[in-house]
Amino acid sequence: MSDNTTTVISRRDLIKLMIGSGVSVAAAVALAGPLTPLVEQLASGLERRTTAESPRQHPRWGMVIDLSKCIGCEYCVYACQATNDTRDDMRWNIHLVDETPTGRTFHITRPCLHCQNAPCVRVCPVAATYNRADGLVVMDYNKCIGCRYCQAACPYGARVFNWEDRGDEPNPYVPFWGTPEVPRRPRGVVEKCTFCIHRIDAGVAQGLVPGIDREATPACVNACPVGARAFGDLNDPESPVSRLILTRPTLRLREDLGTEANVYYIPPEGMAL
Amino acid sequence: MTAIVNFARRSPLYTAWILFLALLLGIGVFSILTVLAQGLGMTNLTNQLPWGLWITVDLSSIALGAGAFTLSAAVYVFGLKRYEAIARAAVLIGLLGYTGAMLALLVDIGRPDRFYHPLLYWNVHSVLWEITLCVMFYTTVLVMEVLPIVIESTPLRNNRWLLGLAHLLHRIMPVAALFGMALSLLHQSSLGATYGVLTARPVWFSPSAPVLFILSAVAAGIGATIAFTVVTEALQKRQLVPPDILNNVALLAGVAAAAYLYLKVWSWAATNYYSHSPALEHDLELLGENTPYGFTFWWFEVLLGALVPMVIYLWPRTRRSKLALFVAGALGILGVIVYRWNMTLAGFVVPMDWSPGVLRNLEVATYTPAPIEWGVAIGIVAYWLLAWSLAARFLHLYPEAEGARRVTGHAPAEAHEAAAPAR
Repeated sequence: MSDNTTTVISRRDLIKLMIGSGVSVAAAVALAGPLTPLVEQLASGLERRTTAESPRQHPRWGMVIDLSKCIGCEYCVYACQATNDTRDDMRWNIHLVDETPTGRTFHITRPCLHCQNAPCVRVCPVAATYNRADGLVVMDYNKCIGCRYCQAACPYGARVFNWEDRGDEPNPYVPFWGTPEVPRRPRGVVEKCTFCIHRIDAGVAQGLVPGIDREATPACVNACPVGARAFGDLNDPESPVSRLILTRPTLRLREDLGTEANVYYIPPEGMAL
Repeated sequence: MTAIVNFARRSPLYTAWILFLALLLGIGVFSILTVLAQGLGMTNLTNQLPWGLWITVDLSSIALGAGAFTLSAAVYVFGLKRYEAIARAAVLIGLLGYTGAMLALLVDIGRPDRFYHPLLYWNVHSVLWEITLCVMFYTTVLVMEVLPIVIESTPLRNNRWLLGLAHLLHRIMPVAALFGMALSLLHQSSLGATYGVLTARPVWFSPSAPVLFILSAVAAGIGATIAFTVVTEALQKRQLVPPDILNNVALLAGVAAAAYLYLKVWSWAATNYYSHSPALEHDLELLGENTPYGFTFWWFEVLLGALVPMVIYLWPRTRRSKLALFVAGALGILGVIVYRWNMTLAGFVVPMDWSPGVLRNLEVATYTPAPIEWGVAIGIVAYWLLAWSLAARFLHLYPEAEGARRVTGHAPAEAHEAAAPAR
């Protein structure tokens, strides 16, 4: 800028500027005082993360989906819709028909992948979605402000928004495919697959083993007629999922993004890894 | 009542314009209340494309407010006092931009009743959390900067306490301006980072997005302040800002536009052209087939939105022409709106490819705003224009204007003199 009446910045101004920055820092420190509970909350969040990474202390729930077995019947899709009470345009678990590089058709289903390094968790401005110690990516419907940034960030399109109040409209998948086990979500919040967290938590409290005892296992896994879905603790080498991962080749979706998904896929026939 | 009738009789055109804007604002208020009551199901937004026109309004509105921090910093942080001749106008445009954006956001979020949640529940790792806090704090700063202008140029100045408050605010202005600059540098860039950090979408993921956002905002924000000023000068038939000040401010806008253009073209060349990233090439191909993305990028974002304004601001002959300055400002505003629209939509339109298969069979998303979305957008634009039209007439926005009685925060005696505005 060419202003010849004033020098751009004098020594005095520079000093003023430095004093100004000092005041800013002081104000930030002063502000931090009453906000200590929030800082602690934050620190506990970091702690949670470290414990989640150390094996054995906690389970890490995961799923293996065998694409060489999947026949595309969509039973898992409907069982999820009945159990979690979702609409056709708000499916938590979707089915796609795709093709291997060798031209073979295969079926793929996609729940929420419960990433350990979840992009949705990182972007949520109010920490309404977070990683639990057992690896689940969960939603706090009471915190969510409905900004939908998590939908923009999720690389898998796994999140859906409650555009409308669903009232008590009927769910066509009930009762044939199951009965709703969780309340409908209110208008204006984002939701997604929970790995049937209500079953896991209630089951574990009763001493059941998710992935083995049906009452503690996600509805989609129970519904699969060909046993293409397995569930269990990835930290337990004896769990159904760990055994599959140890014995079969597996891939995770968009491994390049470093999301560390807890859902593993056994590739379809005709697909090299 | 008779005073208003007399006023309307004296200025029929102005009154008609105000009534017209009030009507548009009414449409906006009606639309906003309808959406708040009925929910976002009324929009044409979908799970694949959850952000649309309102986010564009919000981003553009904030971008056009960038003149405020730039010129405030010039006056109060860098001591270029003479620029107060235009800084007040910039600060008002800033306040209108930020309040308009906050209104758009309030309508856009699913739970407006929880707007304060970012203050209570922190996620310091979220760029959107940082933006929310910065925008809240910076709007407070803008209110602090505008309040003295309102107090001093209306009968409110007769209240001793309010006048005292105005002087106090004047005194802490340097600190406020410094805060404002820091906050603006943060969130104006972070708005670009909102998209730039999303690694999963090749058309978004870009380290240059934050810098492009702030540079385009500074260029268009200063340009908007100049354009609003020259239009107001033409309508009031008097000089509001000394020509040398206007000239220097336009030069600053030109430098910002040049920096923006340089980075924009190189950002495009490096990521879209020379890199040959297959994922990005595929996405751009899909965008080209389904949207006028390429056309609007080159014509509205680059050529009309940045290059033409840059030339007008940097070439001394055009810089002296008020008409040219208006054209440059209007094109800059258009350019920044198209940039924000393209940026928001591009990433969502292209479906993400997460399947290990080769079909890429997820559908391309389409979006045309619903009437109710237009209603809200029109309401927000009407709010800016109405507030500006009233302020330009009744507030002391331009301290160096011809025929204006001088009002400064440091001289209460003079402030009392400045009774009614010039006309």
